[in-house]
Amino acid sequence: MAIAARYHDGQTAEVHAVGLDYERQGAVGAVIIRDAATRAEMARWTSSDIFAVHGRQGELRLGASGHTDGARLVISGDRDIARIRATLPILAEKRRAETGRQLRLAALATAALASVIVAYLYGVPLLASRIVNLVPIAWERSLGDTVARQMEASLAAEAGFEVCDPDPDSAANRAIARFGAAALAGSGSPFDLDITVVRTDVPNAFALPGGKVYFFSALLERAQTPDEFAGVLAHEIGHVAHRHGMEQLISTAGTGALIGFILGDMTGVSVAAGLGATLIDSRFSRDAERQADRFAADVAKRMDFQPAGLADLLDRVGEDDDFTKAFALLNTHPLTDERRAALVDLTRERPGDVEPPFTLAEWVAIRTMCERHPAGKTKTR
Amino acid sequence: MNGQGQPVAFTGTRRELGAILLRGYLLMVLSIGIYRFWLTTWKRRFYWSNTEIGGEALEYTGNAMQLLLGFLQALAIFIPLYSVFFYLSTQSSTTAVIGYGAIAVGLWFLAGYAIYRARDFRLSRTLWRGIRFDQGGSAWGYAFRRFGWSILMLVTAGLVYPFMAGSLWRYRYANSWYGDRQFGFTGSWKSVAKPYYLAYLLVIASAALALGSAAALGAFKGGFPSARAVLVLLLGAVAVGIIIINYQAREMSRMFSAVRLGAAALAVKVEALGLLGQYVRFGLALAGAYIVLAIGGFVVLNTVAPDAFADGQFQPAVLLAHLRGSAATILALITGYLLIFAAFTLMSELFLGLGYWKLVASGTRVYGLETLASVRARDEDKALVGEGLADALNVGGY
Repeated sequence: MAIAARYHDGQTAEVHAVGLDYERQGAVGAVIIRDAATRAEMARWTSSDIFAVHGRQGELRLGASGHTDGARLVISGDRDIARIRATLPILAEKRRAETGRQLRLAALATAALASVIVAYLYGVPLLASRIVNLVPIAWERSLGDTVARQMEASLAAEAGFEVCDPDPDSAANRAIARFGAAALAGSGSPFDLDITVVRTDVPNAFALPGGKVYFFSALLERAQTPDEFAGVLAHEIGHVAHRHGMEQLISTAGTGALIGFILGDMTGVSVAAGLGATLIDSRFSRDAERQADRFAADVAKRMDFQPAGLADLLDRVGEDDDFTKAFALLNTHPLTDERRAALVDLTRERPGDVEPPFTLAEWVAIRTMCERHPAGKTKTR
Repeated sequence: MNGQGQPVAFTGTRRELGAILLRGYLLMVLSIGIYRFWLTTWKRRFYWSNTEIGGEALEYTGNAMQLLLGFLQALAIFIPLYSVFFYLSTQSSTTAVIGYGAIAVGLWFLAGYAIYRARDFRLSRTLWRGIRFDQGGSAWGYAFRRFGWSILMLVTAGLVYPFMAGSLWRYRYANSWYGDRQFGFTGSWKSVAKPYYLAYLLVIASAALALGSAAALGAFKGGFPSARAVLVLLLGAVAVGIIIINYQAREMSRMFSAVRLGAAALAVKVEALGLLGQYVRFGLALAGAYIVLAIGGFVVLNTVAPDAFADGQFQPAVLLAHLRGSAATILALITGYLLIFAAFTLMSELFLGLGYWKLVASGTRVYGLETLASVRARDEDKALVGEGLADALNVGGY
């Protein structure tokens, strides 16, 4: 008995009520599509050409390769569908093959994306250190100025921004500048250092792109020896010499692009993007910290101070200070046991016959440069 | 128009769509997001195959690979754009603001192109009674029109909207095809002018009334406004929402009813109450989902970072410290973010997307279907790969 179906021939939009018969000639089977009323043959689909396309529940839709693209047979009702499936086992085979193909495609695309991500995680920091050499010096300098302005403005709004000793020719500033120039000498850095000691109660020190270094008074007050102060300062100058600020910026931009790609919103900035980028960047910053430490140790070979003083100072801030205040410092300068051990090792390599970085008078001047002077002596920049 | 016309039926269920979506989200996590192209394809198959016009269901013939390729093509535009973003972010704030503004305007223009291309992709992959739909016209032409109209919208404070709607609907439908038969659009600005300007005035009046009463109750004198002022503002917002939804229902009814296909015509009646009910159901479902998630999230965070909640106070700094130290906390936070995100998209798909589709389908009758039997197939528009930009710009609807 013929199975009732609806037939779209793919050439006109007419719907034909048809009956389906199955005919076998040797090894080749075929579905004969006959008009339901006249029993006239309308088309003949070889069973190996037939495939099922997606249809809703309770409906089977068939197409056939080699026939018009849009030609379809639509069979409704569970009983008739079961009969067709039994007659054409190839439908199930093709379906399995297609599911497998889609699965492989999705798996392949996922694997490709995963390898892009891995390449990115390792490649971006590496690439950033190459690209940074292509960044024009003038551009980095003006970028540093922009960042400095923004930072000063935000500090001024929150904690107050006041340069401790605005006179560049004071004993303290001269000593700091001399130390900076000596530390940077020989590194081949194209930047001129601009070290500013700022009065604020957040203990921190950092370097911006373009050679600007900020040292906050709260951190200076914690320094008990010139070694600690010199260690931190040399470390920050290391960031300048290695252009880490710029490198970090390039790396962050790169990871942001990747996360946007994964989430599919190239236009939106989402929370996950920020979180993910932070996780990736922390990998990068650990390497940068190590490099800056090594730079500080190299400086200590030319001037007599203990680079491990840097670790002592970070430790003290971590222990004493209220967590939220110290957070920024420790976040950018995570002090791990491994890092401390490396610093102590580096300290051992020092020769014994070099000059200390500051004379006692200079150190006293630096220590007191942030103490409140009589009115009129300091001014807000 | 002869006779009663034929109804459009939608046979899909919320449960079916929910299963497709949940399975899709899970696979998306496993495939680092790549599965979204397959999920879109499954979703469309669900919508298309369950939409029955005159007894015959639609068929979506597109596949995930086309969408994936389209997305990769769109990246070719976005990666250079991203470099520009980066460069701008390093510039002085004035340059950056001007640059970002220029890019936003450019993206707004591109969105018009993307919307039109995406519509082309969907139409040319829609099969009904063995014949494909298609879209002609120029995507750039549409983008220019839409962009020009949106500038006029800004200049006229929205008064030009009926003209824009008339023009863009006409462009879309006059360039749509079913086989060798061209769609037409009999509507114009007149179709929506009356309800639009009425709604416009009502929105201004209720907003002014609410703001005025709130000001009289002292809401804007600094400090925290009184409960009564907040209530008045809330009522005003609800009133504005109802007016807008009511207008949306009218616009949809009138504009869809102006669509012609030769001698065949659509008659669409979207009930404003039905549309409103959808938003209410969506709001309730979302609130329910978030309450469940919030309880779950609190329990989980309490387990991984108990001291962040010590003394009955939440301490973000302590939580951050945990973030740096413990992989479990990071994992919990990422999972939480994904769940919040998934709950939102799930509820908006289930209640807004599906609800809208069902509402339009159940309100639609098609007249003169019998005249379509003579439509013949046209060559397929095979050049089109994916929706590219639309996917990257996130402007695709269904």
